[in-house]
Parts: sequence; C-alpha cells; structure tokens
Amino acid sequence: MTNEEEFIGQLLNPKTQNTAFQKLLSEYQRPLYSHIRNIVLNHDDADDVLQNTFVKVFQYLKNFKGESKLFSWMYRIATNEALTFLNQKAKLNQLTSEALQNKTIDNLPADVYFDGSEIQIKLQKAIATLPQKQQLVFKMKYFEELKYEEIAEILGTSVGALKASYHHAVKKIELYVTTN
Amino acid sequence: MKTFKLENEPKIKSGFKTPDDYFDTFSTKVLEQVDKKEVKVIALNRRKKVISIVAAAVILIGLMIPIVNNYNSKSKELDAETLETYLSYQSNLNQYDLIKELDNTDIQKLGKNVALEDETIEDILSSNPNIENLISE
Repeated sequence: MTNEEEFIGQLLNPKTQNTAFQKLLSEYQRPLYSHIRNIVLNHDDADDVLQNTFVKVFQYLKNFKGESKLFSWMYRIATNEALTFLNQKAKLNQLTSEALQNKTIDNLPADVYFDGSEIQIKLQKAIATLPQKQQLVFKMKYFEELKYEEIAEILGTSVGALKASYHHAVKKIELYVTTN
Repeated sequence: MKTFKLENEPKIKSGFKTPDDYFDTFSTKVLEQVDKKEVKVIALNRRKKVISIVAAAVILIGLMIPIVNNYNSKSKELDAETLETYLSYQSNLNQYDLIKELDNTDIQKLGKNVALEDETIEDILSSNPNIENLISE
C-alpha cells in the first residue's frame, strides 16, 4: 500500500468503503489466517476468529489513530481475538489453556485440514511447552517469517528482547525434540 | 542420541491447510457479517437503553416502598411514649390545665393514695414557715 493515509480515507468514506474493504480483505486474509491458525491450530476456530477480526477492524476503523501501521494494528486485533477465543474455549471445556492446547495438538492428525507428519506434531508439542509470549514470537518468526521489526511493532516489544526471546524458544524446542 | 538443531534441518512447514475455495468466498462472508452487525448493533443498543430505563424505574420504586410505608405508619399512630415525651417537654399544658380535666372519681382515687396520718400532718404544718398564710387562706 503506497499511501496508507489515503487508503484509510477510502475505507472511511461511504462511497469508496466497499471497494477499499475488499482490497484490505484480499491483501490481509491469507497472512492473518496463518497468524490466527498458528495460535488456535484448528481450521474452524481460525475461520471464526478471522471473521471476528475483520468485523472488528471494520467497526473500529474510525477510531484508528494512525499511530501505528494499519498492518500491525490488524495483527494486534487478530492476536487478541485468537487469545481471547482460546481462553473462552478453555473455560467452556473446563480446561486450562495448556491442557486445551495439548488436546488440540493430539487431535491434529485427525484434522482434514492438517497435512503434517510426525516432526510437525513434535514441533507443535515442543512449542506448547513454551511461555505464551515465546510461543507467539517463535510462530511469527519461524512459520510466518515476519521481520523482527514487524513483530516488535505488533507485540510492542523491542527488537533486542524479541531476538533473545526467539533464541530461548529455539533452544528449548531443540532440547525437547532431542529428548522426546 | 542425535542432537536436534532447527537451523540444520530443512524448514519445517506448519502443515496447516484450508478448504480449496476458502479465500475466494471469505470476503463475501465477512461483508455479510459486517452488514448484519451494523443493523444488530443499533437494535441491541436501543433495547439495552429501554431495559436499563425500566430497570432503573423498578429499582427506584422498590427503594421507595419502605420509605412510604414508614412515613404513613409513623404519622398516623402515635405511641404512648412519644405522646408523653411531647406533653412533658413541648406542650404549653400546665398543672392547672391538667387539674381541670380531672373528674370526681379521679379526685377520690388521688385521696385514697395519699393516706396521711394526723401526726404527719401536724409535723408538716408545724415545720412549714408559711403556716400563717395557709391558715388565713
């Protein structure tokens, strides 16, 4: 997007709103889907959360101050929606977030929208042992291949802290995969 | 056991897939939701407003019931204690007003209660410095 302010203007103008929103959807639906799916793991849940994310983006666009980039603002909404969704799902099933995550990973081989082998499952199990922030950083860096600067803007952390966090995450994952 | 090194391994993909036409139909689905949500939001807000006004009114009426009840009962039914306190501290009634209200039976009752012996009367009269005034009256 060359001129973000102009694009936001189009999104807010009732005459150009629909076309602009279509453009926003086609540009961001795939990366945001991957981001959400990496957090919630299951396709149906990712679909729900992605829809909610775009509905919220549309609702709150008039409050968007332009202090951050549209891209990082949308990623933040998606992250919050995904984490909130997981907490609610865990509560509903009377499980802890960790237990729910492990249960979802155990169900992955049966998921028709999962095409992974043993190493993918093992990697997911290893990720599940990390603290939440490290999980996010690892997934965004390793699977989504976002730049440190981009992750820093989304999560509101410094690049230095992120690099350290990723390094710790990699070490723990390697240890888990070696010993399990 | 071989040490696992992430950077030495070929890139591990997440393995997550989507239904084939998922992204082709996704935008239509979201736009429908946005339209629905806009209508819903207005309706919900209005309904919420009405509900909150009704709730406030019910609470207010509920709170007023004991106040009204107390007000009515206190204003109409005076208990003996309140009346006594009022008469002794607030009223303009004096001894003479009270005496005026006494009838013969009351006076007889009073007489029975005061059973004085002659000696006592004599003592009182002799020690009273105003005895002369009383005699002349």
